[in-house]
Amino acid sequence: MESFVSFVLALLLAPLFPGVINKTKAIVAGKQGPPLLMKYYTLAKLCRKGSVYSTSSSFVFKMGPTVSFAAALMPLLFLPLAGTAPVFSFHGDVIVLFYIMGIGRFFTIAAALDTASPFEGMGAAREAFFSTLAEATIFAVLILFYRMSGSLSFADYFHGAKAVSLAGPTGALLLFVIVAMFMVLLTENSRVPVDDPQTHLELTMIHEVMILDHSGPDLALIELGAFFKLLFYSVFITHLLQPLVPAGPLVNGLLFYGILALVYVAVGVTESTMARFKMNLVPKYILTSFTLVFFAAILTMGFMQ
Amino acid sequence: MDTLFSALAVILAGGILPLLLYRRFNLMKASAVIAIATGSLLGLIAILPVMQDTGPPPSTWSWQQFLTLSCSIDSLSAFFLVPIFIICPLAALYGFHYMDKSEESWRVAVNYLCLSLLIVSMVLVVCAGSLITFALAWELMSLSSYFLVVHEFQKKATRSAGYLYFVFAQAGAMCIFAAFGLIYSVTGSFSFDQLDQLPSRIKMAVFLLALLGFGSKAGIFPLHIWLPHAHPAAPSHISAIMSGVMIKMGIYGILRIYALLGDTSLLPGRVILAVGIVSGVLGVVYALGKHDIKRLLAYHSVENIGIILIGAGLGMIGVSTGNRAMAIFGFAGSLLHVLNHSIFKSLLFMGAGAVLQKTGTRHVDDLGGLIKRMPTTGRTFLVGSISISGLPPFNGFISEFLIYFAAFQGLTLPGVSFLFASLAIISLAVIGGLAATCFTKVVGIVFLGEPRTAGAALASEVQASMTLPMLLLALFCLVIGIFPAPFVQLAVFGLRDMTVIGAIDPATGQALVADLAFAARLFLGILLGVMLLRRVLYARKEITSGPTWGCGFTQPNVRMQYTGTSYAMSVVEFFQPFVRIRTAYSGIRRIFPGQTTYETRVDDIAEIAMYQYLLQPLVKLLDRLRWIQHGHIQLYIAYIVLTIVVLLLVF
Repeated sequence: MESFVSFVLALLLAPLFPGVINKTKAIVAGKQGPPLLMKYYTLAKLCRKGSVYSTSSSFVFKMGPTVSFAAALMPLLFLPLAGTAPVFSFHGDVIVLFYIMGIGRFFTIAAALDTASPFEGMGAAREAFFSTLAEATIFAVLILFYRMSGSLSFADYFHGAKAVSLAGPTGALLLFVIVAMFMVLLTENSRVPVDDPQTHLELTMIHEVMILDHSGPDLALIELGAFFKLLFYSVFITHLLQPLVPAGPLVNGLLFYGILALVYVAVGVTESTMARFKMNLVPKYILTSFTLVFFAAILTMGFMQ
Repeated sequence: MDTLFSALAVILAGGILPLLLYRRFNLMKASAVIAIATGSLLGLIAILPVMQDTGPPPSTWSWQQFLTLSCSIDSLSAFFLVPIFIICPLAALYGFHYMDKSEESWRVAVNYLCLSLLIVSMVLVVCAGSLITFALAWELMSLSSYFLVVHEFQKKATRSAGYLYFVFAQAGAMCIFAAFGLIYSVTGSFSFDQLDQLPSRIKMAVFLLALLGFGSKAGIFPLHIWLPHAHPAAPSHISAIMSGVMIKMGIYGILRIYALLGDTSLLPGRVILAVGIVSGVLGVVYALGKHDIKRLLAYHSVENIGIILIGAGLGMIGVSTGNRAMAIFGFAGSLLHVLNHSIFKSLLFMGAGAVLQKTGTRHVDDLGGLIKRMPTTGRTFLVGSISISGLPPFNGFISEFLIYFAAFQGLTLPGVSFLFASLAIISLAVIGGLAATCFTKVVGIVFLGEPRTAGAALASEVQASMTLPMLLLALFCLVIGIFPAPFVQLAVFGLRDMTVIGAIDPATGQALVADLAFAARLFLGILLGVMLLRRVLYARKEITSGPTWGCGFTQPNVRMQYTGTSYAMSVVEFFQPFVRIRTAYSGIRRIFPGQTTYETRVDDIAEIAMYQYLLQPLVKLLDRLRWIQHGHIQLYIAYIVLTIVVLLLVF
């Protein structure tokens, strides 16, 4: 029950945090910026509207938002949130969940190609390529975590006695993971320096260009799905950063959301201080994150035989 | 055993009847399809008793004194019989309307004969109980499939593809026979027994020779060259059988030899794993670079053989290091992937065949928008694409998950084995991502968007005999994905008689599989919920349609769509120098440019290397010996006499 409440709370808060990013960016730029609750207003507005569908598109185009939303929602059911155990968990769930996200991506890309638009094709090709590389980083992280905890589920990674933690004897290795996962977060969620969520020059975009033709509630599903996905990666990093405090669930919960907000602030600061990479630099950027984690995994050979 | 032989007799009848009935075209095809389907059903029934106990005793025939043939079924053979008896009748049914040229009735009849011979020979390969039986069945399989490949022999491309296949099949067979000869020279018998008594050095040599031979049939990386040529040349239902079932005979051979040799050193596992990783990654990269839809699917066979071998290699390493969970999950994942791949790959080849029949082109950049014109083909192809990309809730994911699981078990091993296990995990992840990239390309360019040529615009759905097999196979993909337990049990059963692994508790992994099934159903449940939510959100809303947003450009046309080439290019470029890209671009030099051309092709480095470093030196050498061939028959007879005399003198 506690887990379920925590899960619903996280779902409700998901659109708040991107507001934090925008607020951070506005503050750094010396502007007032949109209100914190802006994303809620946008979602409500989209849900009130109807849709225009391209004559080129088929049923795959309509399935795109639905599948990608379901695929973004499901991982949160398996992730420990705010100090509570996840709703579901089993040995091996991490592999399943990253593949579930894969099917969401499959349909997003297919829907983009269904519009017969060259721009959307361009975005689709980039999304497919970059996320494949990011997958290598993610599985390297799983290798490292298996070496550290002997487990294959989020519940064991982040909750309970065996949890990986910076304070543990092998905690130093997690520094690599935090940096690498932050890089993956920026890649997978189409943030600067890989993609720019603000630009409206179609040639330079990845995610935004893929959803150009979606409108109304379909677009709302895509947006909300994107918030869930961002939340998933941010929670992943938050768990690595969160110290173990011998206090009640309320304190731990507040601490969790505090650190989570800081992760979003970090995204905002990165976005304000960096420019987007040229496309041909992005693979190198992602491979850097892979190298960091793989190096950490190799280091485990020194003290685990 | 008797049931199996009567099944084979019925299937063979399905090959001979058409020869008698070829004047009545439809009756001929119907008789062949019915006989093959009945025979396959009988064959499936014949497997059942093996599942209960150790199966029937081997049957043996002797002819004169030197030729003794024997057949036996153990659990591994029984497992490989399942895809044969499921895929082949469906492919035969698909062929009913695919081979609809009644003016070539006689050739279609011969095609059915070769098809039934191929099925029978594959069954004999997996049931062979001695070296000599195996060798004979193997040759029959290679020959009958060769004749199937050259069905359209009028085309030059088909003839050269057939020749390439023939050379590879025979060169591979030579390696296998060399391995068998080596065994015979030590044991002095053709029997499969006592192979584990061989000295370890001989074992290694036998294993490596067999790997070369079986690997060229299976299509492991440098020996895969025939695959991308033979598959586009063969009729599509034949490609489905060859890629879905026949190349698995190579996998069967590798596993069988491994089980018989009982070699528990680390080397075989590492070799197989390395071969699997290379085939898997490069197979999918080349698939991305190819735009002939059947050639692309052929490269995906290389990729999937890679995944199967990664599983087998992990299993072997698990056996050597005594890590039983790793051994069982590795081998079980590998076997299950054999079954899964046979299902989705034949589905995809059938879909490609339907597209080819209706549009007359195999080039993806000439197609587009077919899902609206061929709804069943398009939907089933979509299912096959998701399955082959290894995504849940379909079958490809289940087997890949088992292999992942084996690899994660291997992470606790020390030293080099740890590195091998982690490389396996990372390459599986990369293969999965690239396969999804490649199949979003195929689905997106071929079936979605707008048709790029008139041929694609005028396409229509194929007949029911072709859509029915595709629907059934797509259904299998989903069923295995959502109810994996019996199929994983089947794969674990396949390992029962492999003594190197030891006794396996049949309940192994059932808890894990139940979790997988739960996750798949949960996902479907959430998806259903979201679909309902979407319906609620769209209730009483205005829905209109209009042209795609052209980003301000008001005159878009279909040729502006992204092509398969452009979609895949950045990924393929990333993998240089393991792939070679050749580009010819005329360039734009004036302010008002005239005709501009751009051509790019991706070359297979294995092909280039084989041509440069093997074929050219060989031809040069043999050129010097031309004088032996002069055309004088008297001198040829003299050669024969001379050879006999020399042989008599020496021995």
